Amino acid sequence: MQCPYCERRCRLENGSYGFCRMYEAVDGEIRERFPDKWCSYDVSRVESVPFYHAYPGSRSLVIGTASCNFDCRYCSNAYIAKEDPAGMQDVMVDIKPDNMIQLARKYGCHNIVFNINEPTVSLPSLQRLSAAAKAAGLPMGCLTNGYTTPEAAEQLGDIFSFLNISLKGLSPDFCRRYLGIPDSEPVIRTIRQLAKRCHVEVATPVIESENDHELDQMADILADINPEIPWHAFRLLPTHKMTGQKYPNITALNDKLEALRKRLPHIYFHNFIGSEWVDTHCPDCGAVVITRFSLGCGGDKLDQYLADGDRCPSCGRRLNLLGTKVDWNSKEMAL
Amino acid sequence: MSVAILDARQWQQTVDLRTGRKIEAESPVVDMVRGLLSRHPFPGDCEPGSNTWVVDTALDLVDKYDPSFAFLTLARQYYCSRYTVMTAQERRDMIAEAFAEADRFARESGFLTILVGTGGMTKALTPIDLSTLDGLGVSSNWSARYAGLYGLSDRDREALAAEPRLERVASRDEVLALFGGGSEDGKRLPEYLAVSKEGYHFKNTSLRRLIMIPSRNIHIPVSADVGAIDSVTDIRGRVLSLLADRKVALVVLEGVGREDFMAPHTVCRNGEGWYCYEPTDAWYLALTSGHHCIFEHNGGYCYFKDDNENKHYPFSGYFTEMPTGTIGLDYPGRSISVGNRSMFMHVATGCDICCECFARNLYNQGCMAVLFRQDKA
Repeated sequence: MQCPYCERRCRLENGSYGFCRMYEAVDGEIRERFPDKWCSYDVSRVESVPFYHAYPGSRSLVIGTASCNFDCRYCSNAYIAKEDPAGMQDVMVDIKPDNMIQLARKYGCHNIVFNINEPTVSLPSLQRLSAAAKAAGLPMGCLTNGYTTPEAAEQLGDIFSFLNISLKGLSPDFCRRYLGIPDSEPVIRTIRQLAKRCHVEVATPVIESENDHELDQMADILADINPEIPWHAFRLLPTHKMTGQKYPNITALNDKLEALRKRLPHIYFHNFIGSEWVDTHCPDCGAVVITRFSLGCGGDKLDQYLADGDRCPSCGRRLNLLGTKVDWNSKEMAL
Repeated sequence: MSVAILDARQWQQTVDLRTGRKIEAESPVVDMVRGLLSRHPFPGDCEPGSNTWVVDTALDLVDKYDPSFAFLTLARQYYCSRYTVMTAQERRDMIAEAFAEADRFARESGFLTILVGTGGMTKALTPIDLSTLDGLGVSSNWSARYAGLYGLSDRDREALAAEPRLERVASRDEVLALFGGGSEDGKRLPEYLAVSKEGYHFKNTSLRRLIMIPSRNIHIPVSADVGAIDSVTDIRGRVLSLLADRKVALVVLEGVGREDFMAPHTVCRNGEGWYCYEPTDAWYLALTSGHHCIFEHNGGYCYFKDDNENKHYPFSGYFTEMPTGTIGLDYPGRSISVGNRSMFMHVATGCDICCECFARNLYNQGCMAVLFRQDKA
């Protein structure tokens, strides 16, 4: 049988697993091997994921499972994403959907965000969780590499109302060497597909001299999809198989991004401490509408929400936001 | 205003520590510290040069600032023990390297160096998951054996009573009584504090598999130079006494217990009654302030409640204010702290110049220096 979830379309036979090792064929069906098994649940700021234009200031319950369908050389969560998921089960927790909703409520969270590994490897569990979350009125978001089949992308759109999709590189050579996939076309297709029905932000880890020359072409692609799409350029943090690689030069990379901000007004540059390029400006008049702190790996943070609802306080233009400012403690429960 | 200099390698930003906002700050001390950070990029928590970075940076700062008091933390062996599988010999070698670095600092600086171990480590057993409680269980990344409990149901109480991996579940009043507090002191204490037996730990926010965690360290080792000492809270006073007539360095060796201590030492109590510290903010503050601070800093408080956009000190983790009464703030002479235990250097020591790695959960973002004082002659 062929796995229907990611673009690898692995062949699954009895007793064998695909690339991600999260699905198996049993009695003519593709099944999850570890349903409802989560590696973590924790409270986080939505800006830390990062989402800069979705529910600003809100409190998220961040969750994850295990494994991934990519093989990124710089994976920052390799101890979750690249380990054999079967060997991790002793430290995973079994949380059924209703219990996860209860956890989110007890922690006073406004939404649930899947951001530790790739959601495509755990879609059935996420579908069940999504049904419970919708019943409870809790939006769900995710970070994804977008390397899904069109059918699975639709399922992602059913589950999540806001997504941050990684556009990690364009050329087949880069994709093969750094990501372990043949090409980026499925990712671009997923961004196009989901941007029509969900709130989408895009993230690109930038590796100096490796994919920074593709930024201009990426900007063209994103501008064609939606010129107001929030785009997060990450300074590469050399980890996993790239430990020891030099850190990209911040000034040089920002110079390249600055030229692109004329086409895409919401280009952010972060994943390092103290970035100056994490504030949102009105695309028309340039007024500052949201300010943030960049804490790098510690997660970003809302500083000031200056917008008037979803409009620029200076010229009144509507901003590309999903929801408006959420009070951090507005869903605190009395326990 | 306290100045923070953020160094992300080849790029620096200067901010007001309290507001987190960019400022223009020019002074000889600021310039000196900017240069210091540029010269000493942090190699990473578990990298072989991690403890060497602490000592190199501290010696450079001693040379440029001429302090009388230095606070150092050497934590590489703690991080590596926590997250990587090592043989006993590998671990001993790593601890020996930490002692060698402390000795190098003493030799090259001429400071009397007082060493303190935060306590030994033990194999991490299966995590205790609190997600099935009707009430709320709160555990933090760095506190393995303590968790806060809120809103427990009868069913929860029965489940906790039947949990063989728990040492005790102490009520807020019990914790207050243990540390001599009144009811007004308990605002940041959980309703109940769950304590696991040695080796067990609560499922926490760390995504990495824990290999070793702090033992149940009732006592911790301290250099014999300080003489007989009763409690971790007495070390500060002894150091201040020694500072009356010579330069002194207090060097913390994380993850090092009595059995690992490679220098003449005595031992002191590491808590009160059944409560013994882990190397957390509470331990650091007990060491540097001379008081137990667990009413404010404990493994069970819902720190995330304070984390709204009105919280100050965005680069100081969950701290909403800078602690007062720390050794660096109270000592009138020049002081520095350098360490690879991130924000604890500035929040817990209060030294004039604090230099720390900006690594969170082992992700190496660079360094940060905090300048609390620039006016000491």
